[in-house]
Amino acid sequence: MLTLLVLTPLLGAVVVSLIPARRRELHLPLGIALSVAPLGLAGAMFFSFDAGEASFQMVEKMVWWEPWGVSWQLGVDGISLGMVALTAILFPISLVVSDSISHRRKAFVVAMLFLETGLIGAFLALDLLLFFVFFEVILVPMYLIIGVWGGKRRIYAAVKFFIYTAFGSALLLAAIIALAVMHASQTPDGLLSFDYLALLALDISPTAQMWLFGAFALAFAIKVPLFPFHTWLPDAHVEAPTAGSVLLAGVLLKLGTYGLLRFNLTLFPEATVSLVPVLAVLAVVGIIYGAVVAIVQPDLKKLVAYSSVSHLGFVVLGIFALTSAGLQGAVIQNVNHGLTTGALFLLVGMLYDRRHTKQISDFGGLATPAPLMAGFFLFMAFASVGLPGLNGFVGEFLVLVGSFPSLPSLTVVAAFGVVLAAIYMLWAYQRVFTGPVEGVENRKLADLSPKETAVLAPLAVLVLLLGLYPGILLERTAPSVESILDRIEQTTDYEAPSPGRLADVFDTASEDES
Amino acid sequence: MIPEAFPEIAWSALAPELVLVFGAVALLLLDVQRKPGVRVLWGTSLVILAVALALGVWQWIVATPGGEPIFGGMLIFDRSAALARLVVLGVSLQAIAAARSLFAHLGNRAAEGLALVLLAAAGFILMAASQNLVMMFLGLEVGSISLYILAGIAGDGVRSDEAALKYLLLGAVASAVFIYGAALVFAGTGSLDLLGVGGFLARNLVLSPAVLLVGIGLLTAGLSFKVAAAPFHVWAPDVYQGAPAGIVGYMAAVAKVGGFAALARVLLSGFDNFRPDWAPIVAGIAALSMVVGALMAIISSDIRRLLAYSGVAHAGFILTGLASGVEGSSSVWFYLAVYTVQLVAAFSVISVLGGAVSSGSDLTDYRGLYRRSPFLALVLSVSLLGMAGLPLTTGFVAKLGVFLSAWKGDLEWLVVVAVVASAMAIYLYLRVIVTMYMRSPTSDDMVLLDRPTAWSLGAATAVTVVLGVFPQPLLRLVETAGYL
Repeated sequence: MLTLLVLTPLLGAVVVSLIPARRRELHLPLGIALSVAPLGLAGAMFFSFDAGEASFQMVEKMVWWEPWGVSWQLGVDGISLGMVALTAILFPISLVVSDSISHRRKAFVVAMLFLETGLIGAFLALDLLLFFVFFEVILVPMYLIIGVWGGKRRIYAAVKFFIYTAFGSALLLAAIIALAVMHASQTPDGLLSFDYLALLALDISPTAQMWLFGAFALAFAIKVPLFPFHTWLPDAHVEAPTAGSVLLAGVLLKLGTYGLLRFNLTLFPEATVSLVPVLAVLAVVGIIYGAVVAIVQPDLKKLVAYSSVSHLGFVVLGIFALTSAGLQGAVIQNVNHGLTTGALFLLVGMLYDRRHTKQISDFGGLATPAPLMAGFFLFMAFASVGLPGLNGFVGEFLVLVGSFPSLPSLTVVAAFGVVLAAIYMLWAYQRVFTGPVEGVENRKLADLSPKETAVLAPLAVLVLLLGLYPGILLERTAPSVESILDRIEQTTDYEAPSPGRLADVFDTASEDES
Repeated sequence: MIPEAFPEIAWSALAPELVLVFGAVALLLLDVQRKPGVRVLWGTSLVILAVALALGVWQWIVATPGGEPIFGGMLIFDRSAALARLVVLGVSLQAIAAARSLFAHLGNRAAEGLALVLLAAAGFILMAASQNLVMMFLGLEVGSISLYILAGIAGDGVRSDEAALKYLLLGAVASAVFIYGAALVFAGTGSLDLLGVGGFLARNLVLSPAVLLVGIGLLTAGLSFKVAAAPFHVWAPDVYQGAPAGIVGYMAAVAKVGGFAALARVLLSGFDNFRPDWAPIVAGIAALSMVVGALMAIISSDIRRLLAYSGVAHAGFILTGLASGVEGSSSVWFYLAVYTVQLVAAFSVISVLGGAVSSGSDLTDYRGLYRRSPFLALVLSVSLLGMAGLPLTTGFVAKLGVFLSAWKGDLEWLVVVAVVASAMAIYLYLRVIVTMYMRSPTSDDMVLLDRPTAWSLGAATAVTVVLGVFPQPLLRLVETAGYL
């Protein structure tokens, strides 16, 4: 089923590319319809997922080239589950809002569907080379989406995006090769292997772990982007079309945090433990830096882009807290950020479609002509800030609770990020939507159309659902997260601080049940 | 040892080369006797190449995998040589199919041009199959001299003359270096036969190997020139830029196949025992080529020079595989097979756009190519992405193979240099793709291309993508390409 899930969008891309260019009215609706198929499959996967199981489920394996030990191997666990579901949700939505794309629409739809295959594949791949292939292939459609359908400085932004990430992934490839060769030298039959599960069994010296961790972490830190590798992000976001921004923030960046969580923590536990200070400090710097820069942005889209830097800092902090709650928070915050920031970028895009400007100073008092839009914006802003009852609160709270026992002073600093978030989000809301309406264009601004409402409503529902009942996701992620911590504790002399384990935080009676 | 009688020769093992040589003669005679049109000559040469390729496939199937020495030990068609033959003939067919307009332009010199193409192919195949350094030199010269003439065959313009002359002069020096190296090897081991050299070195301990080492160094330098590896690459940009566009891809591809095949045979078959001595040198050349090639390509504004420098970088990647010893030879062959296809395809696009003989190929001419010919833009993009080594193209599998064997061969530092160089190189290929897809075109004329060119380009693109996703058939093929 997972293979089907990965390949359906690709099939969709082929189908769309076979429709003649002159039937241009067909391309977008067909693309939307085809992107619903993976959504259905992802839904089926989400609900057939066995919540009590820590290891990979629905594993599929086909050998690709035996002598190199490469195989098409897919599997899902609690860490990838939410990301795949998020990806499948955001694609139809991004396609629906893309009717403002006027030229080369067919190519756009094809690129989007191709991108979806790459993203879902990257989250599901259990073979390191396969992961790398998806990780790298994603660059091409994203590059085109920014570079062909983007704003004025699109080419600069697209090239910068490509170069940054391509450089990061070059060293990632070298590190992956090193692991495969290490496998050959440590197994009696001397075979290469890129199988993630087989590589977990490797005995890697501390020095080698440091180097390999560095190579992996660099690739993922650029993707996240972690301060100081973030400079490509604002350009890419500002120039990308709405769909591109939504997917970039919603899903693409998560590849970085997902990679750190999935690969760095498990493959190089010793290096992880000793490098916690470095990464946690970078994460906190990112939280504060992103928030402060977001406050002073005159451009609404750039503001949301910098808020991503800040929010993803929380995710990285949660990961390197190395406690259950921190990791849980990171996993769920990955999904949360995708939903809220995705929605915010959609709203910014809708504003831009109406007014062809993203400057905050050009707006004002929009709540009067467009109350529905203002409502959605405020709702998503609250979610992003972390208002209790909405999803952002669950994620950030877990991250802060989880990182306090292990990194108390950094957590205190990071908590200011929440305050700053309130400042930049609510101040932006205030300047755009409240006060007197100025200018004819603002006064006549159309409120959300039924279609736009239909696009935002599911996101709002999910934001509320995950805020009120986070268990639907948390119960599925918990076993996998615990197993990562178990692995770190078994292979190093690290011990999760009390109350670092889930059982410490929530006094559950899980042991009685089992 | 003087053979008592004329040695028995397995002519069938040489059937493809005989077809090429006799085909070249037949072409010239046909031209003199009948004066047929260019289309007939061009079609005939395609048929000759196709027949030779078919015979090559047949030989691959029937011949013993290890190959038998033929011509008194001069030649051996083992798996690697047989593979070199298939690659040379395949890309020749690909290149000539796309080059009809060039030969049409050459007019009454078309037959000569086509005959030279066939001879060059035969020369480089023989070079790849040479078991003896003298035979190798002969193959090298047959191939090279044909290419010198082809470089200047259009003969209209200073650029073309400059290219041909530069190629000739520097090529002659390289040939001299090579033959001097062969002489020193003979002085050191008493044999020109590579198996004999290998056997001598296996039996005897060379106490003062200085002469031999200089010999190996000179052979390596001479062949590095042929494959345009830094620092022996200075001719490449001028020749790639000045020679007729329709034939540059072919020239570069066959010379690289022949050169690398010979280099692999010399180093792996003859001097495998000396690997600790030559591996650092080859690795150094590889690293230098990758870095210099990528850097110089980035600052080139002419697409042909850009491809020439990127060719230098690719020579570096291939040498990376070679430096890791016999283990790496299959990765070298995979790389050569797929890179030459991309190279020829890229130059075919250039010749369609800039004219088959012209030397103008400024990057600005490629602005908005997407609007003027989506097909050509797609073909060139796929070729360039393949050269960049992006996944889902053959280039990625090729690079992966080379990196794997180099890492296994304890050349970790070289792999790190290589991945960084390939990341830099992505930028330069990207620049061309940006120009084609994201800039406005300078003219609105649609680009027209003839059907054989379209087929050749389409096939190359399909190969690059399909073998990029499912490379197993080719991987299985090259797996057997080892050296004795």
